[in-house]
Amino acid sequence: MPQVKRELLIDPLVDNNPITLQVLGICSALAVTSSLTVSFVMALAVIFVTAFSNFFISILRNQIPSSIRIIVQMVIIASLVILVDQVLKAYAYEISKTLSVFVGLIITNCIVMGRAEAFAMKNPPIPSFLDGLGNGMGYGLILMLVGFIRELFGAGSLFGVTILPTVNNGGWYVPNGMLLLPPSAFFIIGLLIWFFRTWKPAQVEKREFTIQTAEAH
Amino acid sequence: MGARQFFDRIEPNFTKGGKYEKFFPLYEMVESFLYTPKTVTKAAPHARSFIDMKRIMTYVVIATIPCILIGLWNTGLQANEAIAAGLEPTGWRASIAGIFGYNPSNPLANFMHGFVYFLPIYITTLVVGGFWEVLFATIRRHEVNEGFLVTSMLYVLILPASTPLWQVALGISFGVVLGKEVFGGTGKNFLNPALTGRAFLYFAYPASMSGDSVWVPVDGYSGATALSISASQGFQDLAAQGITWWDAFFGTIQGCLGETSTLACLIGLAFLLATRIANWRLIVGCLAGTIGFSLLLNVIGSDTNPMFAMPWYWHIVLGGYAFGLAFMVTEPVSASHTNMGRYYYGALIGVMVVMIRVINPAFPEGMMLAILFANIFAPLIDHFVVQANIRRRAKRNV
Amino acid sequence: MSDIPDAPKGPIGRFLAASPDGVGKTIAVAVFICLLASMIVSVAAVSLRPIQEANSLVDKQRNILEVAGIYEPGIDIQEAFQSFEPRVVDLATGRYTDQFDPATFDDAAAASDPELSVELDNDPAGIGRKALYRTVYLLNDDQGALERVILPVHGYGLWSTLYGFIALAPNGNDILALQFYQHGETPGLGAEVDNPRWKALWSGKELRGDGGDGDLKITVAKGVPSADMQAHQIDALAGATLTSVGVDNLVRFWMGEEGFGPYLENLREGGV
Repeated sequence: MPQVKRELLIDPLVDNNPITLQVLGICSALAVTSSLTVSFVMALAVIFVTAFSNFFISILRNQIPSSIRIIVQMVIIASLVILVDQVLKAYAYEISKTLSVFVGLIITNCIVMGRAEAFAMKNPPIPSFLDGLGNGMGYGLILMLVGFIRELFGAGSLFGVTILPTVNNGGWYVPNGMLLLPPSAFFIIGLLIWFFRTWKPAQVEKREFTIQTAEAH
Repeated sequence: MGARQFFDRIEPNFTKGGKYEKFFPLYEMVESFLYTPKTVTKAAPHARSFIDMKRIMTYVVIATIPCILIGLWNTGLQANEAIAAGLEPTGWRASIAGIFGYNPSNPLANFMHGFVYFLPIYITTLVVGGFWEVLFATIRRHEVNEGFLVTSMLYVLILPASTPLWQVALGISFGVVLGKEVFGGTGKNFLNPALTGRAFLYFAYPASMSGDSVWVPVDGYSGATALSISASQGFQDLAAQGITWWDAFFGTIQGCLGETSTLACLIGLAFLLATRIANWRLIVGCLAGTIGFSLLLNVIGSDTNPMFAMPWYWHIVLGGYAFGLAFMVTEPVSASHTNMGRYYYGALIGVMVVMIRVINPAFPEGMMLAILFANIFAPLIDHFVVQANIRRRAKRNV
Repeated sequence: MSDIPDAPKGPIGRFLAASPDGVGKTIAVAVFICLLASMIVSVAAVSLRPIQEANSLVDKQRNILEVAGIYEPGIDIQEAFQSFEPRVVDLATGRYTDQFDPATFDDAAAASDPELSVELDNDPAGIGRKALYRTVYLLNDDQGALERVILPVHGYGLWSTLYGFIALAPNGNDILALQFYQHGETPGLGAEVDNPRWKALWSGKELRGDGGDGDLKITVAKGVPSADMQAHQIDALAGATLTSVGVDNLVRFWMGEEGFGPYLENLREGGV
């Protein structure tokens, strides 16, 4: 049993990562990763929401009528998200201003709904909680990686601390402006997926078709 | 034929089971560059053609020669005029050019001044881009082909002369790797790799790719391109700045290394059309889109945006329009492949380029973005053309 | 969570044991979940609101402190802000008005209130409606003499409306600082309005010629300024023509007749 629990936590980090393998939750990964601090807070918020929504939904799983189960899951997730949003506004105002609507949009993050529907509805509360934690961390890991690359090379800093002094501030580093634009996260996530699949060839999808060679006739 | 014998002697080392099997793509690159490729299709059906990939790519490179010549001369001319106007030449490249003097009325001095900027950029592009090309060819076991020569030449010609070399290297890396190799190499790329690299630089280092001080490689010189003058003051103001339509047509205006001269691009285009490498339907579609849409905008008009009034004959001589039309729109791989689709594909570019230039406030130049945009739609356009054809034929046979 | 089917005990036990798909139970579960969730959410919202409002206020005050050149990381913002005196200015007359309480007057709400704002015909700053009254912040020194005047400005750049403050000397002509606290311009280009080096260019510039009596001359433009523009021209942002034009327009608008012009004139003559 401890082995299984460990897998619930570790598996979504690399082997079954919600972003790089399942390609879920991309929207917020593009929007909030231009600075590492913001990525970090967003990652924490998502970890909190996936873990606890999984937990509560799992507790209620035998009582939730199947005809309204999506709505019930939504209500639980939405309440948690509002809670996170309110707490951030109260205790981390600056960051909540940067995150703006993206905290609210955790509700629509496919990872949260996906884990609730696919795992929490069928499993007891503790494993569900761990599964939520693991998936949240898998999401957070990618977010932090993307945020690291974007902030370091896009602004020359990490967590707001200057690492590479930029030309505009009298240093030598010419920052890469594209990395500060949201679409750059597409490239970075794409390259990460490429890297992960080279590292773990099991993740490579089967080809949908192969091109026949002329000699094969 | 000493070289042929040499190749025949060393070839076994590179073929399957040979010592240097891994480096076959390298061997193949050098060999097929010098000789006709030896591999032929073995199985039916066969189609005879005078043309092959190598010839297509070589012809495109030949077609860019007028652009290179006029572009280098103009780059030097602009720089020498700036120096004649009282600015100090700076940097090692300018000191080399100084050997020939900075006289703007001496064509050789102009040409050499342009050349000292062109050559380092071109060498950087070839070395860095070539490295990625060979690396992928070796790992993926496909051949290095002449497509890269085209990509690298086009890429260099659409850069500003003052681009720092490390940015040149980054841009071509992005273009070759993410624009082409991740999709499987030449022939499988749905984006134009040269433009992909240029677009990367445009968004990553906008300060070196746009603005007023990058076009002429002399420190302290500041001058807007004809397009940004038109965007801020209206094209009527160009005359006040000393730019006539003929200047823009011949290419003695500011701009990227090789794209200012509409005339040179037209010569190149004529060559490509004559050799039937460029498909005329693409050209017709693109021109029709531009002319139609800019006439429409002329009629609509705008009080606040002077670009609305810009006539189509100015659109096609300014910025990268002519260059894009001749060498990018007609690129066979990333364009639509059906004849009907080619009209739509061309028209999409023609409309988009005017739309971006006129309506988007941030980008005075729209050719690059318009072509990349249409690249993405090309397969979709083909799909609809094919489907329409299937439907039409199905109806006929009820 | 026992899975052994015990005999249901009591009303709750029977309820839990009932099939979740019955109509009665569906409604009951829905009502229960909604009630519980709305209670949690409203308790959180209500109990945290005072802190959130304080945050939002502190954020605005911090910006004012920053543009006034007082802000340093770690200082007590609310205490530092005590030295400021907020006043509401009637833009048309250029005089203070006691019609509104400065502590509660909401500039943003006034700008969209048909009673308190006008629609602009000539609108170079691209703001649509202009409030007739605006809050200004006065910083007095220890003797109670006016030291700095901080005026709110906003206007459209390339992609977004830039909101900021401009700090002026008591003569209503010398610029001390300009700072934007909210905008959505292109990172690396237009967003360089936040670059300390560029912001430093504003310090010491003068709004009008002839020591304040001449025409409004302040401008953001490229190139080397001519001799008479040395004190009025701020170098435009490299590669961000439209943001620079936007900043130029909004500063000229708010410092001009339509904006704080009458107020600044009163200030120069010492008779607000």
